[in-house]
Amino acid sequence: MEQPLIELEHVGVAFSAQRRVGSGKFWALEDVSLRLHEGERLGIIGRNGAGKSTLLRVIAGILRPDRGHMRRRTVSCQLLSLAVGFTPYLSGRDNAILSGLMIGLRQRDIVSRLPAIQEFSELGDFFDQPIATYSSGMLMRLGFSVAMQAEPDVLLIDEVLSVGDAEFQEKSGSALRERMRQGHTVVLVSHDETQVATLCDRLLWVEHGKNVCEGDRDKVFAAYHQQLDLGAEVS
Amino acid sequence: MRQNLVELIRFSTYAELRAERSRSYLGLIWWVAEPAMMMVAFWLVFDVILKTGGPDYLPFLLVGLTLWQWMKSCITHGGYAIWGNLGLIRQVHLPVLVFPLVQMFADTIKFFYIFGLLLVVLWIAGFEPNMTYFALPAVFVATLLFSAGVGFLMAAVIPLIPDLRFVIEQILTAVMFLSGVVFALDDIPEKLKPWFELNPVVTLLDATRGILMHAQWPNWLALLKVSLISMVICAIGIGVVLRLAPRYPKLAA
Repeated sequence: MEQPLIELEHVGVAFSAQRRVGSGKFWALEDVSLRLHEGERLGIIGRNGAGKSTLLRVIAGILRPDRGHMRRRTVSCQLLSLAVGFTPYLSGRDNAILSGLMIGLRQRDIVSRLPAIQEFSELGDFFDQPIATYSSGMLMRLGFSVAMQAEPDVLLIDEVLSVGDAEFQEKSGSALRERMRQGHTVVLVSHDETQVATLCDRLLWVEHGKNVCEGDRDKVFAAYHQQLDLGAEVS
Repeated sequence: MRQNLVELIRFSTYAELRAERSRSYLGLIWWVAEPAMMMVAFWLVFDVILKTGGPDYLPFLLVGLTLWQWMKSCITHGGYAIWGNLGLIRQVHLPVLVFPLVQMFADTIKFFYIFGLLLVVLWIAGFEPNMTYFALPAVFVATLLFSAGVGFLMAAVIPLIPDLRFVIEQILTAVMFLSGVVFALDDIPEKLKPWFELNPVVTLLDATRGILMHAQWPNWLALLKVSLISMVICAIGIGVVLRLAPRYPKLAA
């Protein structure tokens, strides 16, 4: 089997509990191991506070593990986040360029895609107005249209599959699913089981900052459901 | 990736200046109006009321305030830059040095515009251009190195100890008065003089005023000392930022 793109071995991440001198540590991620191969679509499931988002930020390179090892081939990983670096007094156009640069694109690439961004975000003439004048829906549409331009080797998604009104939700959701189907390497964190089930082929189940099981989608789902049922019976 | 960073810094600097222009009704006019109002206040107190201004007090004050404003902006804006962008730092993987650098570049561009105006005012007032102007770039490099060094140090620690912000404004005001920005340091006791000369701001202001007002070449040795010390401060500042960088994404904004 070929070498994984990213490999985590017993990785842990600690936060300090409070902004005070000598306050204790809190391990958001205790001991997680995973391997991600090229072209794989890995879903991360688990309850609230299990450490899923922290894990995603470790993979993105934003957080450095405090213990354990992380090996990655020279690949770019990008966490899909909306409205990165948006500045209220700048136009939609300038914000699109700024945001694009922040998610690792070259300036000429973003500039050449500005018409597509304007089109997809349905902003029309508002594209050249300061975004301080936008409604929250318009902001999210612009944010999503820009975020979708990122072209990392590994795309990391944290439950932002659909934004805006019902119509734009449909449009943005399908654009994103389309990208995932194109064979990109993707890591997806979501609460929505059907979404994970349709989009991912492998799953990692995380609980209390540790991985419970990793493997084929159906196998992990079966184990996850069994445990949820058990939990329901006890309580 | 490198080229992308250069583009990011360049465009962010442009965006910063542009946003600043749109934030207020009068926009860029404040670049000049703000220091001008400050100048009038000091002129009233020190020249008109206390009569301690001395000859050529207005140009003296104008040059001092222009240069000091640039240094102070680099230090405070650069110093708050990482702290102010913690939200962004938690979202994307970016070298954190970008944030203070962008602020310092924006403030430097702003300074050059104001400095251009200052020259015009000085010429009108009878301080003509002279050969020593060729020494200005050296003084500016030293000034930027010094401000950037202090700015990087602040930028590194303020995210961890945001309370420092309350102290810094006061310290900078004290430094302004102790550095001869608003009044000449000629009358300080002989015993204290060596201490005052240790202050890099004094050297930088003396050099700039000498060039612009008296066609005097700067004290090169003093300038070299300031530059070397500033480079050391810069290196330490950048080192501390890089060392603390893994901790920033974990901090609450």
